[in-house]
Amino acid sequence: MLPFVYEFHWTPFHVTFLLVFFTLFSMVAATLVLAFRRTVKNDSPEHIEHVRWHTDFADLPTALKACRHELRGDVKHRTCPNGFDCRTCTVHSQISSRAQHAPSLQNFEVYGFSMSPYRLYHRGHTWVQREDDGTFTVGIDDFGKKILGAVRSVELPPIGSRLYVNGSGMLVKRDDAEVRVLSPLEGEVIGHGTEKDEWYLKLRAENGDAATTHLLTADEVPNWILREMERLQASFATAGVGVTLADGGELAPNFHRHFPNADWDGVLGQMFLQA
Amino acid sequence: MDNFLIPRGVRRTSFGNFLLWLLPWFAMLSVGLYAIYLCLAEGLFHTNMDNRFAFGIWIFLDLTVIALGAGAFFTGFLLYIVRRKELSAVINSAVIIGLICYSGAVLVLMVDVGQPLRAWFTFWHPNTHSMLTEVTFCLTCYLIVLLIEYLPIVIKNRQLRQIPKFLVFEFELHKLMPVFAGIGTFLSFFHQGSLGGLFGVLRGHPFAFREELGIWPSTFFLFVISAAAAGPSFIMLTTRLVERITRKTLVKENVYQLLGKVSGLMLVAYVLLKSIDTLIWINSTSPGMGFPAFEYYETQSFGTWILFTEIVLLGLLPALVLLSSRLRSDRRLLFGAAFLVCCGIMLNRFVMTIQTLALPTLPFDAFLTYLPSWQEVAAFAFVIAYGVILYSLTYRYAMVFPQEKELNMSYAAQNEPADAPVRGTMRPGLAMQLLQKFMMLK
Repeated sequence: MLPFVYEFHWTPFHVTFLLVFFTLFSMVAATLVLAFRRTVKNDSPEHIEHVRWHTDFADLPTALKACRHELRGDVKHRTCPNGFDCRTCTVHSQISSRAQHAPSLQNFEVYGFSMSPYRLYHRGHTWVQREDDGTFTVGIDDFGKKILGAVRSVELPPIGSRLYVNGSGMLVKRDDAEVRVLSPLEGEVIGHGTEKDEWYLKLRAENGDAATTHLLTADEVPNWILREMERLQASFATAGVGVTLADGGELAPNFHRHFPNADWDGVLGQMFLQA
Repeated sequence: MDNFLIPRGVRRTSFGNFLLWLLPWFAMLSVGLYAIYLCLAEGLFHTNMDNRFAFGIWIFLDLTVIALGAGAFFTGFLLYIVRRKELSAVINSAVIIGLICYSGAVLVLMVDVGQPLRAWFTFWHPNTHSMLTEVTFCLTCYLIVLLIEYLPIVIKNRQLRQIPKFLVFEFELHKLMPVFAGIGTFLSFFHQGSLGGLFGVLRGHPFAFREELGIWPSTFFLFVISAAAAGPSFIMLTTRLVERITRKTLVKENVYQLLGKVSGLMLVAYVLLKSIDTLIWINSTSPGMGFPAFEYYETQSFGTWILFTEIVLLGLLPALVLLSSRLRSDRRLLFGAAFLVCCGIMLNRFVMTIQTLALPTLPFDAFLTYLPSWQEVAAFAFVIAYGVILYSLTYRYAMVFPQEKELNMSYAAQNEPADAPVRGTMRPGLAMQLLQKFMMLK
């Protein structure tokens, strides 16, 4: 089907028709090649982690993407457009500069979960604590630990590896589910281990305090945990009925054992922000 | 058994139930495959078509499914070009339906034309005088576009996305999707139009012949607009059907409302233009060729009722329902209207193919009758079975409806008592404590 082929005539109609057809065909092919090229070119771990989080975040329900300032009551309604990364968010910097909340100095309980004023919290249920030597310790928060329940094993990133904000931090395995715990910070892993059944990572972040502006502070925690509790209750609500008056309160001890047949893979995926 | 392939956080029936669901469709597929084999290996004498009645059930249904599949290009156009973000809730479903409709139509055309091993002749030795050459080119090209649009849905599968290259490729393809949506819209516009354009050269059948507006006959534009009207309605119907089968809510109400409104707007434009076209045909085109238009409706069962049904009952009536936000908010009316729209497009394509060929043109012609052979019906049943199987597999293993998780956010086991575990695991909240106190006081 080329100009020198049978039945082709050098008429405006034939030329226009073939031109349009070949242009479209070339556009389809070129776009496909472009996608292939970008895929081959951008295969760095950072890009892969970025893409994984980007697609996961895009698939999260809208209610789950509420901006931290909506949770805190600074704005009536706002959906986060930055994948929970406030480091480059202009709205966050504007609101934060005018709304300063005094932190408490004691450990506090929120709906039965123990929280520390000296820790910063990530929406994927991890905490970050700045150490005196300038490094950061990262762990799973109390809410996360309680819903994870009996864990079979935890895969921690090797020392020397690099983590990215909202990229993979730890891989927690239960008998019935597997969940990636998101990294709250970007930096190099300089240590890891377990202490009193609590897994932790030690990170060295290049940007110091500036690297943590996207994390929730102690005064933001109560409202955030309230939302998380509501989500958890909705997850276990009877289909078609929703959350009822009988639901609510605090999590009972060994909460996960009361739902042996629940879709824990789905619950944990949702609570730890994964598609 | 196949849980590791099912998207996280959504419920699917057991693997055994799924196989049982697929079984009758595979049976239908096998019968269709045998019929296709007969037609390809032994010839078209297995059909009831002949040199006079060359458009049978295959062409009629081909034109219908291509129009119904237009939801893919039109939804893509509205989402990526017009930026109606709400439609992202149904775009995957629209793409799958488009792919099924178009690939099915191409498959049946290949059986109809025969000699599939020489299919490439169409491209290498094109009949440049035929509108169908443009249709073939556009269909092939658009089918490639649909396959590319379908690819990200598949590689977003839970296991496939664990492969970093697939993950990134899906992401990159998604970023380029507006380009494919734009090309798809252009191609669809032209092949839908060219199918209608065929009637501009059908001078031997004044019942369907239409005069040219510029270089295309009026049917060129009518086919495009009617397809754009029927596509969204078909998306609504199929989505609702999947909701009924799976007993889940899969998209939010505003999505249905938007699809209904778009379908209504396009349909009202179509009904208006179709009415003008019919009046011109009755008063000018047909008499100009020596045939008073109402003679066509005196023959056999094809009375004027068919014209009334097509334009008023299956055109104007659903258009008015879909345009009224009050009527549209009633689900029975909404889906009823969408069903009428799809029936309307089917009737239109029937009129333009089967009725056109059945009516006598020359003085010595008789009214022709045609009843499809079982092989013709089975070949098309193959397409339906293939479509159901492909859709079922994609629905089970990919996230076809992005809002499904949000709208069905209950992970409690289905076989557990409705209330006991929920109450048993939480300490009573403040509201519950107050209620209990109140009850105890009482």
